Amino acid sequence: MATTDGSNDSTESEGGPLARWTSSVIENQEKRDRLYRALFIVAAGFFLVTTLFPFYWLLVLALTPTSQILTGDWSLPIIGIEFPHPQGFNVYAFVEMFEQVPFHLFMFNSFVLAISTTVIVLAVATLAGYVFGRLEFPGRGLLMLVVLMISYFPPAAFLVPLFDAFLGNAVVIPFLGIELFESPRLVNTPASMVLPFSALFLPLAIFILTTFYAQIPDGLEDAARVEGTTRLGALVRVIMPLSAPGLATAAVLTFITVYNEYFFSSIMALENNPENWSPLLGGILSYQTQYTTEFNLMAAASIVGVLPIVIIVIVAQERIVSGLTAGGLKE
Amino acid sequence: MANLTLEHVTKRYEDVTAVDDMNLDIDDGEFICLVGPSGCGKSTTMETIAGLTKPTEGTITIGDLDVTNLPPKDRGVAMVFQNIALFPHMDVYENISFGLRLRDYDPDEIDRRVEHATDVVQLEGMLDRMPEEMSGGQRQRVAIARAIVREPDVFLMDEPLANLDAKLRVHMRTELQRLHKELDTTIIYVTHDQAEAMTMSDRIAVIDGGELQQIDPPLVCYNEPANLFVAGFIGSPSMNLLPGKLTANAAETDDFSIDLDVENVPDASAGDDVTVGVRPEDVYPTDTQGAISTPSKPIHVTTDVLEPMGDQIFVYLTFDETDGGTMKGDAAGSDQLLMSVDPDREIEEDESMEVVFDRTKVHLFDSASGDALVHGVDDLSASGFESRVSDTRSGGGDE
Repeated sequence: MATTDGSNDSTESEGGPLARWTSSVIENQEKRDRLYRALFIVAAGFFLVTTLFPFYWLLVLALTPTSQILTGDWSLPIIGIEFPHPQGFNVYAFVEMFEQVPFHLFMFNSFVLAISTTVIVLAVATLAGYVFGRLEFPGRGLLMLVVLMISYFPPAAFLVPLFDAFLGNAVVIPFLGIELFESPRLVNTPASMVLPFSALFLPLAIFILTTFYAQIPDGLEDAARVEGTTRLGALVRVIMPLSAPGLATAAVLTFITVYNEYFFSSIMALENNPENWSPLLGGILSYQTQYTTEFNLMAAASIVGVLPIVIIVIVAQERIVSGLTAGGLKE
Repeated sequence: MANLTLEHVTKRYEDVTAVDDMNLDIDDGEFICLVGPSGCGKSTTMETIAGLTKPTEGTITIGDLDVTNLPPKDRGVAMVFQNIALFPHMDVYENISFGLRLRDYDPDEIDRRVEHATDVVQLEGMLDRMPEEMSGGQRQRVAIARAIVREPDVFLMDEPLANLDAKLRVHMRTELQRLHKELDTTIIYVTHDQAEAMTMSDRIAVIDGGELQQIDPPLVCYNEPANLFVAGFIGSPSMNLLPGKLTANAAETDDFSIDLDVENVPDASAGDDVTVGVRPEDVYPTDTQGAISTPSKPIHVTTDVLEPMGDQIFVYLTFDETDGGTMKGDAAGSDQLLMSVDPDREIEEDESMEVVFDRTKVHLFDSASGDALVHGVDDLSASGFESRVSDTRSGGGDE
């Protein structure tokens, strides 16, 4: 917000306008508050524009008929400058998208995949986080490193062997030719996606929960155990409620990532059909055929697909904030 | 309610032995304090009793039940923790009733018991508060209520008052004593505050280096400490301990000697290294020695620092060089003696004076093993002028 107007080269004791303005800001509380507010508005405004503009762009595309998108005149009618704005008001796109493609089924697939992965990840990561965060045993650091190493691999590294196995081919040791086991044919089923997702997102969840569980004072767990719980009971009744922000973070991260996932699912679902457990993104891409691309429907579908996530994040965020302000970790 | 027995309980960590062959026999309804310096193993002992730590060796019995391998929840113990350990996400009612709800008690029964428990610790009307909204003393009382509501066989208290301020601590101390009288339950209480141990307990178990040093009623620990550690640990300020040697007819230190016949000292012979112990209140200026019937030989000293406490004055004394024993070393005067005198007595710094010990209150310890040899030396002297007064013996007894 500083207005550098070039007069700061004045060397008089009074100083130039900039120097005067600076010192007045330093001395005057009211001016300082105004400056901070202005800086906040600029920063927040920049953030909002960069994050919300894509949504606006999606909305513009959804409301504009396809023909207009490709040939339309984007200049504003009165001012004449080019600014993306809807060419017409084709709300019907939000209905048409469900007529052309059973988009609700794709969304359902994504929900099932995301929820089951989240449940598996939280269940396993809670136990692992308890062990890593609260128990002392030899080799703990090394084991944690191995777990984290899984997340260092790019998912693509696992793709080919997993795809091969999930097709139902026997898993064979290279060069030796020894057959280890034969996987059932999992492609086109949720298992073929939930299994690799869980494995990929577990390390991060374990890491988050380990740090959270490690912060819970030992005395609380001891108290719960003396009062009558088992170790597992203490974990469920005391440690997990007190780590609610950590659990929410791990759950939201996992859910959103799986909900948006396309790489694995596009391959494990052999075709973009809802019957093949193709997810949301597969649905969006189904509006593209060999000869046509319905941008307006794709945009409408994107907006519909994003809405549940927006709702979940808002709800979860409230939970996270309320968990933090309840002072759960203070003893 | 039940008695509690620890037999040969040992807890070893990789390279440390936290508890070493601990044997405790605690009666039903007894109030036992485990005292000792930090890291002496008293908390570990407590944890093995609670079941939070499994002993490497030994057995623990509560009542007639061997609980060594039972999980904490099945031992019938309740514990109050040093850091209070209330569940921060539960209100007072939920905290207190936690154990009962886990055991599927009838809701009416839970309400009745919680009401009774809050009654005992005077917490009525606070059941819907959250722990963070309460003061330290209130939280502590919630923790105690949580412990008593289950009507356990044994109470374990791990420095429950350590985090409270001094005034509240004294208040809670009397409340705990009242509670013990009311409930008549076995209480095991860990503390490093010996004032708590002295005032509350039926017996004190002094622990050092994971080993039980002495378990006796407080005054016995005070008046007849079993060894050098107990002598130095119990009592504040602690006992004067001065190294010396036994000769045929005296215990001699660098600065003074105590007449006695070595024949009468059990398990000792002339030439042994001994430590002479005498409490500050058993050191008297010579002009008040009429108050005691069994004074030792006068010792020349100079007052150093004075600490007026109000009810008494602690006087740090240094030995004069011309004085006392035959074994004067180069470091003469390095030893200090602490004396407590009546607050009305006029005394100044750097004042030269003579002091005597009450011979009935002089302790001798074997310097090598640390074990006590005798408590009170007035009936040990066979020869010398002091034997005149020694026939009015009063034993090694109490004040």
